[in-house]
Amino acid sequence: MSAGSAFVREAAFVMRDRAIVTAVFVALVLSIVSVTSGSLEVRDQQRTIGSLLETDAEERRLTFFEQSDWGSAAYYSFHLTYDPPSAFAFAALGQRDSTAWKHRVRMLAMEGQIHERDAGNPVFALIGRFDFAFLVTFVVPLLLIALLHDLRAAERAVGRHDLLVATATNAKAFWFTRATVRAVGVYIAVIIPLIIGGVLSRTSPITMLLASAAVALYIAFWMWVCLRVSAWQQSAGAIVSALLGVWVLLAVVVPALGRIVIDQTVSLPHGSDILLTQREAVNDAWDLPVVTTMDAFVARHPEWAPYTEVGQEGFEWKWYYAFQQVGDQHVEPLTNAYREGRLLRDRWASRIALLSPPALMERTLQKLADTDIPASIAYELEVRRYHDSLREFYYPKLFKGEAFDPQAFERLPVFTPIAQSR
Amino acid sequence: MSKVLTIAKDEWRFWLRSRLALWGIGVFVAVLLITSALTLIQAEQAEHARLHDQTEAEARFASQPDRHPHRMVHYGHYVFRAPAPLAAIDPGLDAVTGQSMFLEGHRQNSAAFADVAASANLGGLSLLTPALVYQLFGSLLVVLLGYGAIVREREAGTLPTLLLQGVRGEQMVFGKWLALLSLAAISLLPLFVVGWVAEGFAASAALAGAYLMYLLVWAAAVLVLSSTLRSRGMVLTIATSAWLCVCLLVPSLAVDAVSRNAASPGKIESELAMVTDLRELGDGHNAADPAFASMRANLLAQYDVERVEDLPVNFRGVVASYSEEKLTAKLNEYAQAQLDAELAQSRQLGRFGWLSPMLAVASASRAISGTDITHYHRFLREAEGVRYRFVQGLNKVHSEVLSFEDDMNRNNGEEASQRARVSADNWRVLEDFRFVPAALSERLTTAMPALLILAVWIGALFSGLLLVGRRLAP
Repeated sequence: MSAGSAFVREAAFVMRDRAIVTAVFVALVLSIVSVTSGSLEVRDQQRTIGSLLETDAEERRLTFFEQSDWGSAAYYSFHLTYDPPSAFAFAALGQRDSTAWKHRVRMLAMEGQIHERDAGNPVFALIGRFDFAFLVTFVVPLLLIALLHDLRAAERAVGRHDLLVATATNAKAFWFTRATVRAVGVYIAVIIPLIIGGVLSRTSPITMLLASAAVALYIAFWMWVCLRVSAWQQSAGAIVSALLGVWVLLAVVVPALGRIVIDQTVSLPHGSDILLTQREAVNDAWDLPVVTTMDAFVARHPEWAPYTEVGQEGFEWKWYYAFQQVGDQHVEPLTNAYREGRLLRDRWASRIALLSPPALMERTLQKLADTDIPASIAYELEVRRYHDSLREFYYPKLFKGEAFDPQAFERLPVFTPIAQSR
Repeated sequence: MSKVLTIAKDEWRFWLRSRLALWGIGVFVAVLLITSALTLIQAEQAEHARLHDQTEAEARFASQPDRHPHRMVHYGHYVFRAPAPLAAIDPGLDAVTGQSMFLEGHRQNSAAFADVAASANLGGLSLLTPALVYQLFGSLLVVLLGYGAIVREREAGTLPTLLLQGVRGEQMVFGKWLALLSLAAISLLPLFVVGWVAEGFAASAALAGAYLMYLLVWAAAVLVLSSTLRSRGMVLTIATSAWLCVCLLVPSLAVDAVSRNAASPGKIESELAMVTDLRELGDGHNAADPAFASMRANLLAQYDVERVEDLPVNFRGVVASYSEEKLTAKLNEYAQAQLDAELAQSRQLGRFGWLSPMLAVASASRAISGTDITHYHRFLREAEGVRYRFVQGLNKVHSEVLSFEDDMNRNNGEEASQRARVSADNWRVLEDFRFVPAALSERLTTAMPALLILAVWIGALFSGLLLVGRRLAP
């Protein structure tokens, strides 16, 4: 008998098994729920961005035209930056619940603004959402355990086991086919809603293909685990307990220990140090000779060296923005170390994830969805670049003492997320 | 009663002889102890670091030299949230919320630097805490040790013998239940000891009590199944499916449902909604702003003078104080709306406790530990209080200590700038900030709805157990 016909016969047999049909149906329903809920969340985030963009532009217009000099225009105009969800974000919302994906920035020191967190309800971030990544990573293995643990034990219990093994030409292949049919059923049930969601959100076919392949490999891994453990000459209870033990170990214990070990070994500058250093630098500048600030400023922007003269009396905006910039320069080592440290932690996490297929699965989907830590750091860098472009826009006007021109409003740099192209 | 005790003892003897049960208990205890130790260390580190940061920030503020009081309003101050004592067991929202906040004039900043944003990302369940160990694995242990309790005797044919020997059905089920109860109680010892050392007997007992209730729900549920179903496989499948629903599916599905049903505006959304309102309030830096005209007229009338220069107080300081007050009222109004929306979401989420006792115990646990949303909001409100009081303290110094004339001349050369400064002694307006959780009674009040849900669950399952116990037949 060929493997193909064995598969078909087994599939027909399975269709009559109520427990299996139920499990596959449950997988299908949960997948539909996860994809729908992820898609609705993405739609909400897009709507929020859309409405914020509108009010932000209107508010900036009103503010800008009230000003009469460049310094005040820069001081009072805020600019919305945001990280739009990628097409595939519906499948893995990842860090978007716990890290900020929108900021309103102005031309003051960046460090005082970039760490603001406009994140949602923290309870949601703690419990986590029911997205596709959660379903596949944590729930699907449990469904597979429910389906596959008693392949042999059930036959043994009804006394058919030895007969089946004796009549099958290849006992190993027999159990393998049995498990495969069930696993494929679960796979199809979870993947179809994902593909529909992907088509509706216009996810690139390559991303869909990679995601589907990753899920297939992940399900194959758990099928293999279930087969190995259920080959054990034990009661169904013992096998389920052992499989649940494996699940606990791989899905929770290894990742939890990995996280703690990485966080303890890869140290980061304290957030408080970044904030305090920045504040001291900006604040001290009020009392320092203007020359000190301007020298530090010119070191970064030599093109403005001829224009750094500040009058003896009063207050000049160019000096004010120069010390904002110098404040940022001052904390740059710390803030770079903070960013590099986070990336290093993430690289270590990707290595530790090799020991934990569930962590690997979730990370893979988050990577494909651009909702992982590198993506949120990339957004942070976009905000910094945009902030730089604001400085490039205003510095000539401030340093050369150009007359205020409200029409320049139309030429203000516009934030365009790189992500828009994904 | 003695029969109940005997049955409980027999069940323990059975577990101690069963390799599987011993493995289950062993793994649970190992995970629990490791997690407890690591969480305890992290909580201690965090407490130490934040207390250090806080005293440092206070010392820096106090050590600032003589200067113009409004400079200090913008110099600002930092507050840090030290973890609650019971965060050593349930850090709750601490990891996903910001731990520090910059306080300055005219602005309410958000709490920055959440641990989770900087931590290694290893998936949704990797933020393991002792609390989560009990919620997820305490219940699983009860299921795995308890599912066979009655059905095993039935399958082995020992049930009729026992019943014929004069053991009544309810003695049978409550004996098994007692065994699971004692298991749950023993497993809670590490929590109880850590909690006792960290905060005290009463708080620790309350927290352990909440978890005991939760584990009793599971014990009763699994025994009801074990008494009514015919095969061990069946009991196990249904009990583990229930565990999957209660511990993994319902909580995250509830989050989805609530976020759909009751949206809360984000900070930027609130901010933008507010700026239109603020437009009408005027700019506190500009004493000539028309928004202050009526305030100015009243002030002049009050002191019976013609010009602001003749006022016995510094008009610029009065304006700063007045506008800070108006602005803060507006900021608070919007901030409060945001907090109310989050609280409404939490309350809705709390109702899902009727479907998932895990959600109920998790919410009770965070409330008792002082790491729930109300404590996060408490931090935000207390920080705002500190902000408002030091800013207004400085504004008072501005209007009472610094003369209007010196103030107006502040930019006219070095000497004038020196005259427009006040003594550093005035920086003592800043108060010390130490974040402490609410009193235990208050925390228990917050936890009450969740505890009530658990009590109803216990009551219902207990009656069910009594019923199936009575009907237990050979």
